[in-house]
Amino acid sequence: MPKFEPVLSRNWNDPEILSVKRYESKGGYAASRKALTTMSPDQVVDLVKASELRGRGGAGFPTGLKWSFLPKDRKETFMCVNGDESEPATFNNRYLVEKDPHQFIEGILIGCFATRASTAYVYLRFEYIKAIKILEQAIAEARAAGHLGKNIYGSGFDLEIWCHRGAGAYICGEETGLIESLEGKRGWPRIKPPFPAIEGAFRKPTVVNNIETLACVPHIVERGADWFKSMGTPKSYGPKLYTISGQVNKQVCVELPLGVTTNQLIEEHGGGVWKGRKAKAAIPGGISMGLLTKDEFDVPLDFEEIRKTGCLGLGTAAVTVLDETTRIIDYLYNTSRFFAHESCGQCTPCREGTGWLYKTIKRIRDGGGRIEDLDLMNHLANNMGITPGTTICGLADGAAWPIKNAIAKYRPELEQFIRENVNPAARIAPVQEAISAGRSPLPSNTSMFVPGIGIAKSATS
Amino acid sequence: MATIIIDGQSFELPEGAKFNAIQAAKHFGIDIPYYCWHPALSVVANCRMCEIEVGTKDPATGEIKMLPRLVPGCQTPARDGTVLVTESAKVLEHRKNIMELLLINHPLDCPVCDQAGECGLQDYSYEHGRAAHRFVEERNVKPKKEVSDLIVLNQDRCIMCTRCVRFTREIPGTAELHVMRRGDHGEIAIFPDQPVDNPLAGNVVDLCPVGALLDKDFLHNQRVWFLSKHDGVCTGCSTGCNISVEENAGKVWRHKPRHNPYVNDYWICDEGRYGYKAANSPTLLGGNYVLEGKDHHGVPTDRFVKRLNETLTTRILDKQSVLGILSPYLSVEEAFAAAQWLASLTNRVELALGPVPVRGEDLTFAPDKTKGRSGDTSFIVPRPFTISAEKAPNRAGVEMMLDHFGKGAVPFEKALESVASHPIVIVFGGSPDESWIEADQVAALRKAEVLVLFDTTINPLADVADFVAGIASFAEKSGTYVNRDRRLQRFEAALPPREGVWPLLDLIAIVSGDGKAPIRSQEILKAAARVVPGLAKVEDGLVPELGLNLDSKDQPIPDAGFQDDWTLANVSTV
Repeated sequence: MPKFEPVLSRNWNDPEILSVKRYESKGGYAASRKALTTMSPDQVVDLVKASELRGRGGAGFPTGLKWSFLPKDRKETFMCVNGDESEPATFNNRYLVEKDPHQFIEGILIGCFATRASTAYVYLRFEYIKAIKILEQAIAEARAAGHLGKNIYGSGFDLEIWCHRGAGAYICGEETGLIESLEGKRGWPRIKPPFPAIEGAFRKPTVVNNIETLACVPHIVERGADWFKSMGTPKSYGPKLYTISGQVNKQVCVELPLGVTTNQLIEEHGGGVWKGRKAKAAIPGGISMGLLTKDEFDVPLDFEEIRKTGCLGLGTAAVTVLDETTRIIDYLYNTSRFFAHESCGQCTPCREGTGWLYKTIKRIRDGGGRIEDLDLMNHLANNMGITPGTTICGLADGAAWPIKNAIAKYRPELEQFIRENVNPAARIAPVQEAISAGRSPLPSNTSMFVPGIGIAKSATS
Repeated sequence: MATIIIDGQSFELPEGAKFNAIQAAKHFGIDIPYYCWHPALSVVANCRMCEIEVGTKDPATGEIKMLPRLVPGCQTPARDGTVLVTESAKVLEHRKNIMELLLINHPLDCPVCDQAGECGLQDYSYEHGRAAHRFVEERNVKPKKEVSDLIVLNQDRCIMCTRCVRFTREIPGTAELHVMRRGDHGEIAIFPDQPVDNPLAGNVVDLCPVGALLDKDFLHNQRVWFLSKHDGVCTGCSTGCNISVEENAGKVWRHKPRHNPYVNDYWICDEGRYGYKAANSPTLLGGNYVLEGKDHHGVPTDRFVKRLNETLTTRILDKQSVLGILSPYLSVEEAFAAAQWLASLTNRVELALGPVPVRGEDLTFAPDKTKGRSGDTSFIVPRPFTISAEKAPNRAGVEMMLDHFGKGAVPFEKALESVASHPIVIVFGGSPDESWIEADQVAALRKAEVLVLFDTTINPLADVADFVAGIASFAEKSGTYVNRDRRLQRFEAALPPREGVWPLLDLIAIVSGDGKAPIRSQEILKAAARVVPGLAKVEDGLVPELGLNLDSKDQPIPDAGFQDDWTLANVSTV
């Protein structure tokens, strides 16, 4: 196997690369010039289709296919670049924007040319203040150098790029939530159909692509689809930025071909688990994906293989390592708290379900758990999300997945935790406890009708 | 012909119908529960209650392909070959789950909640919910707030269907309501110091499927199951909105809108909504009065009629002429009977139209489809709603009678000028507003030698008239009105006539001596249709439920008559 040569991160060690001159001198904007002057938009779409580039945002949808969904007779198209990157532990988009903004702008330029979009909106998350400053500076320089604006390279193609900073909502990383937010509305995902390709931003056909996806495009144009497909595993080709964080010695973002294993990432790039401990589990790509147990650390991290382990998918390829001292209940507590806080509140199952799960997990963690809570949570989690069809967007799936995944993989540990951690102060109210145990909540020697149970005798009878 | 398959049964969709799955199923008598969807508002599919199994039938092979997951019925267009499964185990289990989730933070305070009895949560909980739910954690407690002087928001009862938010954005376009915060801490809210203030504000209370938005005017006044509902037509303006007049114990307690796609769609304005108060007003005339000296004396109807007839007969034998004034608040039947009676008195009779109140200009709310969320909204038909400047319900109908019996619609001002040439003036009022006539107009009419008034309220004209007969108010009579678009609409009496007062139709029958009370307004309409050309389309005195367009044929509206399940029940105690 030939040695892997990084392309997305090739300029990251060069602080001068922020200037357009430096980027051009390293061969930058050659791919966009090639695409705009020698290729037709459809040829670019076909090339990207041939490369089998899959979206890097989380769902892994084929990019070329997405572009070809746009209606043929459209008059105006918008490109929305999703840089909301709010999945905890994910920071590869930030590296791409902060360390090599022109590569990303070149990607937008080619992407817009291929989709005939003459306006691109870059939606960056609220916290990326530094990134947005760098990006705006880079856009201004690229514009002055003739890479943006009217009639770029004499091809007759026009493009303007606008930066939009979000207001700190996880849900605005969902493509239609992003579009709503961009339009100045509450970031509530839209019902589909229509998909954004038919009716998106400002009710016009819209393409929504992740930053990393677009950053791959110049390299595909420059080196061809075969080069791209020479890396990775079947159905998951090309380079990918993996971020390693959590309880490892070195938290980094590295570029590797798709399909490396968790073990490789921890040992070769993360410097091993911290404090000389052993790993217990790892989250493969943002907390909504679920957990890989230690035994699954040699599963290739690509779009296909990882699903076989019971995880939701590769997600953002943000690997978070949990060491052996970490309690699963703490992981669940943090995860469920995050999703209860970030659920947009639109669909009933997600709005109420995330809050319910958080409260139950908190009670278990405080020492008031019951074994049957695990079954209840499992039932709840199985009835949330797009997969059973109960919500508009995928956030509910992402919120429910880590819970059912952890209950499936770590049930003995959770049961042991419930048995060993008993704190009377955290228990549920005696009335609730009595009813759920089929007893009358009345104190005296009486019986009462409890719906669903029938005549219940009080505890003293 | 488009065929749709629901629960294994094939149905033919009506021609031109643009239905979603809920509407289509309802059309064929199958209920799909829902909360957030409303036929006049954009589709958001956020309550997830209406989820069903959806598939398509291949027209060539007849093979049915079902989607692997549940799909909300509200966003599923009913097309040729659409297959719906509404009662599978999967769907029923799903409804149970949604009901459980909707109730985990909902207080069980039905005994003190005004919505109880017409509540979507109660109905669906009984039909689709679990008997006991498994939530044992602390509930979220949310505040109670006032979103306007007349509307209170019990946030803890809210299920975040956002119907109210969409209404203020899409129909009046004022957008006072919005959603604040996220997740299960989300709340419906107004902007600081900007209450819900638009002429249609009260409709958010009707839209709310639960007891979150409540009308303070009605709050804790009546349990809804004690109310008897009567189909009425609003008398507030010439639009003639269809309303439900709801009474109990001899009082009208509220007006609610009744759906009529040709007139008011699903809405009524606040003026019409709170117009019910006039039916309970203490200033309604309580009997018949005769002016003796300077004072009015109450007399029983038989003596009143005798004295009135004596006076009129003497003077008419004296060849004195009569000026009759018919108010635009009279029903078609009342105007017909009154004009017929006047014409029968003498041939020296002149008829004129009573004062027609006009305030401001017509106010039209044209829903803008683009204001709503995007999505397939082909099944939403935006229909404009107009509040008319002309504040009387039946000018068109009364004018029809004036055309037939007199010399057309002589305006009130002109009639006042001719008082001098008519010693007898007979005024038929009926306005719920006691200030319908001004002092100088009263003075002009008082110049008549005999002034007779049939009216509902104690007003300046009643203070000076020689004969004053109290007649049934708008809530106490049945009949028809012709609205601004020349649509004939029927309304029912909600209350019996007040003690000592007759409906005008009966009183005229007694006075004229040709007919036996009680008189059915349908018979009068039947008689009128025989002779008045404008009413030729009326058959057998009957008026269709959605009214009768007197000029042209209506375009059929397939989705007409839709009403939320939970508001349908008429739990009349009668």
